[in-house]
Amino acid sequence: MNKIKAINITGIRGVKDKLPLNLDKKSILIFGENGTGKSSLTDALEWFYRDRIEHLAGAEVGTKNALRNIFLPDSEEAKVEILYSNKNLDNEKTISHSLTVFNSNSSKEFYNYSNQSSNENLILRYRDLVQFITATKTEKLTYLQSIIGFNEVREIRALLKKFSSKYSREIKQTGYSNKKSQQQSILMECLGQNIVSPKQFFDACNKLIEPLKLGKKISSYKDARQTLKSIEDKEDTEQIEQIAFYNKIAETLAEIETDIDEIQKVYKTYYKSFTELKKDADKLSKLQLLKLLTEGLNVLKKDVVKDNFCPLCQQDKNKIQLIKELAKRIDDLKELEKEKNKVEEEAEELSSILENSISSITSLLKEKLLKTKENAATLKKLQNLKLSLTSYNEELKKDILSKEELTEPSKLAIDKKEIKELIAEAKKKAKEILDSQKGNIKIQIAVKLSRAIDAYINHRRLEKEQDILTNRHITFDALYSDFIKRQEEALDGFLKMFSSEINKYYNLMNPGEKVEDIKLIPIKDKTGEELEGITIDFKFFNKRKTPPSALLSESHINCLGISFFLASVKAFNKANQFIVLDDVISSFDSNHRTRFVRMLVNEFDDYQIILLTHEKDFFDIASSEAKRKNWLVTSLSWTADKGASFETPLVDLRATIEQKIATKNTDGLGNDIRKYGERQLKQIANNIEAKVSFRFNEQNEERMLNELLASVQGTINKHSPSDLKNKNNIDSILGSPLLIGNKTSHDNTFKENISDLEVFWEDIKQLVKTFYCGEEKCKSFVAMKFYDTAKNQIRCKCGKVCYDWKK
Amino acid sequence: MDNTIKSGNDVIEDFFAEILNVPNADEKTVQKLVELYGSGKFTERNIANAMDELTQAELKKIEKEDE
Repeated sequence: MNKIKAINITGIRGVKDKLPLNLDKKSILIFGENGTGKSSLTDALEWFYRDRIEHLAGAEVGTKNALRNIFLPDSEEAKVEILYSNKNLDNEKTISHSLTVFNSNSSKEFYNYSNQSSNENLILRYRDLVQFITATKTEKLTYLQSIIGFNEVREIRALLKKFSSKYSREIKQTGYSNKKSQQQSILMECLGQNIVSPKQFFDACNKLIEPLKLGKKISSYKDARQTLKSIEDKEDTEQIEQIAFYNKIAETLAEIETDIDEIQKVYKTYYKSFTELKKDADKLSKLQLLKLLTEGLNVLKKDVVKDNFCPLCQQDKNKIQLIKELAKRIDDLKELEKEKNKVEEEAEELSSILENSISSITSLLKEKLLKTKENAATLKKLQNLKLSLTSYNEELKKDILSKEELTEPSKLAIDKKEIKELIAEAKKKAKEILDSQKGNIKIQIAVKLSRAIDAYINHRRLEKEQDILTNRHITFDALYSDFIKRQEEALDGFLKMFSSEINKYYNLMNPGEKVEDIKLIPIKDKTGEELEGITIDFKFFNKRKTPPSALLSESHINCLGISFFLASVKAFNKANQFIVLDDVISSFDSNHRTRFVRMLVNEFDDYQIILLTHEKDFFDIASSEAKRKNWLVTSLSWTADKGASFETPLVDLRATIEQKIATKNTDGLGNDIRKYGERQLKQIANNIEAKVSFRFNEQNEERMLNELLASVQGTINKHSPSDLKNKNNIDSILGSPLLIGNKTSHDNTFKENISDLEVFWEDIKQLVKTFYCGEEKCKSFVAMKFYDTAKNQIRCKCGKVCYDWKK
Repeated sequence: MDNTIKSGNDVIEDFFAEILNVPNADEKTVQKLVELYGSGKFTERNIANAMDELTQAELKKIEKEDE
């Protein structure tokens, strides 16, 4: 995984000139007062990886407009350059005055890395801490599923469920049993028996045509049709057409009659759900607020509103409490939205059955024989039936939010008696025509054979269709069951592991505080089938409680937020082994801060951490822990002409001094040498345990060179009077006029000439050389921790530089 | 902890690798689904079209017998 070797930022946010950060894959602790450019560093990294800065995304100016430093000349590009442990990924991302963005690395390797990194948890800011903890249960599920790549799983699961339901609904809506039974009735009527196989059908057909003595057998459907054609007499055409017309009326209405039962049943359910939901009209109308509330929650989470007040009503309100209340309202409305969706699904189901029936009766109404005077009454009744069916459709158009009520099911009920009468009448007429041709045996048999062929073919088709759909439903149902089992097992495994990590980090920061066994728990919907969210559950004084925001303090909720982020880093970051923590401990007390730093340096020892803080106390606590682990420690400052800049590293400061001396440039040279000397003297004093008078942390860092020299000299005179006392040049440095003054002497008007400065620099270098071993494998100051008790000597790590020393 | 966690992709790959062993599942339907997933076309519209094609093919068999 990747670590960062160097970051160079120019012209981004509060950074005007180049802000170089040479990390060499090491972790770093950065202190900076508010307004010194800490967030500019984080913003630059966020833009580099995500191409946007979340807290600027909603602002009027937008990310890109707010990205460039306002004092950056139009001709210059703002840029972020990152050099990595894998140098193939080194990239400089620039943004021009016209807001054109360009990446210098166009390799596929970088493209893939960049894509992967955009989904990793790399940056945590204070404002983002509580996002997951205060998110709704659905948001928590969505978030976790997205970071473990479960979005596609969710989509496939939804598709399998959709198709399983689709086939189940189709089978139900088509009413195969009724339709098949109607065809069997016709077969019974025409062939005198039920038919369950083709052989049985052909045998029955042969029996039917026997009286015609045709001298041929029916053994296929083709034979059956040919036989029918051969026995249909042209003279009988009118009667045959009339019989077919009345039979069609009877058969179509028989189908509609069975559909009517289903229509009335589904409408009853729809009416009940619709009316029930409409009862809570106020709540329902609030569904229109769902978008607004969701947007409001986003605004609060993005920290657009920084203080504790409601941005809409402008009243004082605790922000976390407000987020919690909004999340609850959104969850309630989403529940309501689900119920509304259910009602809409019922409407769709009803609409689909109605469509079949209305289409059948519309086709029937096109029959030309209906236009005859004789059938005028039948036509009227059929038109009325169509009107009754379409009146259901009119009900489906009513808006649940309007004042209009649905018509009660009893008032819409279709009179099945009238349909039955129409069927009976049609059958009677068909029979009458047939009976009037009693002496014509051919027409008797032709009508029966024709109806039997159609009925059996229809029956076979219905049977096959039913088989296919049933099989399909069973298949999708089985696949869905298998899939959800796999998904739930995987999610459960993940949540257990993830909860255990969160628990570990939380307890390292809050030992013995009676919040234990934190768990992320999946929640299912009312049907018990679908996952609808995730909640956080924990033991609070040995009782299980949820959610955390109800019981825990802001500081504890923040600890939980940090724990969640760190667990996510370990679980999901695959491309990067570094994280940026920007002022994440602002609400912590000193105990929590110390534990946080210890947890970080111990548990994330193999990670590169960029830890930023504006709190001096925390910086002091963290510095000692960080130095122990060989972290870099630095400070940020800001000036109007340079923008944000880091404290100059010692190596760079030395090079600057040498450069100025070589070019005889005295500008600021004295100050540079004093700064260098002060910082080296602090190391020397610390290592030989030279005592200086007590000062609080902030002032402790600001000791002057002469004070440190005096203390070091005093210690040497006491402990090494016969050796180091005679080998150091402190007297000579203390005698230099260049040390005159106090802290403000860095800016005083004392006229320094290059010769004096050269001498002063040689003295300082000599002093450092006295105490420092430059051997490649040693590189350490003489220190009490390397004290040789046998020889009574103070020495460097390797022992090459050593002096007699009395304890 | 990541070694024991199955990613979403693992869940899907495992499912399609073992889909033919799911009890009660129709082989032709399953094969069609595997084909769609394999070619990156596992969408609602594509599945619906593929299932319709299978249905029509089955019904055509009956129609042929009826001729």
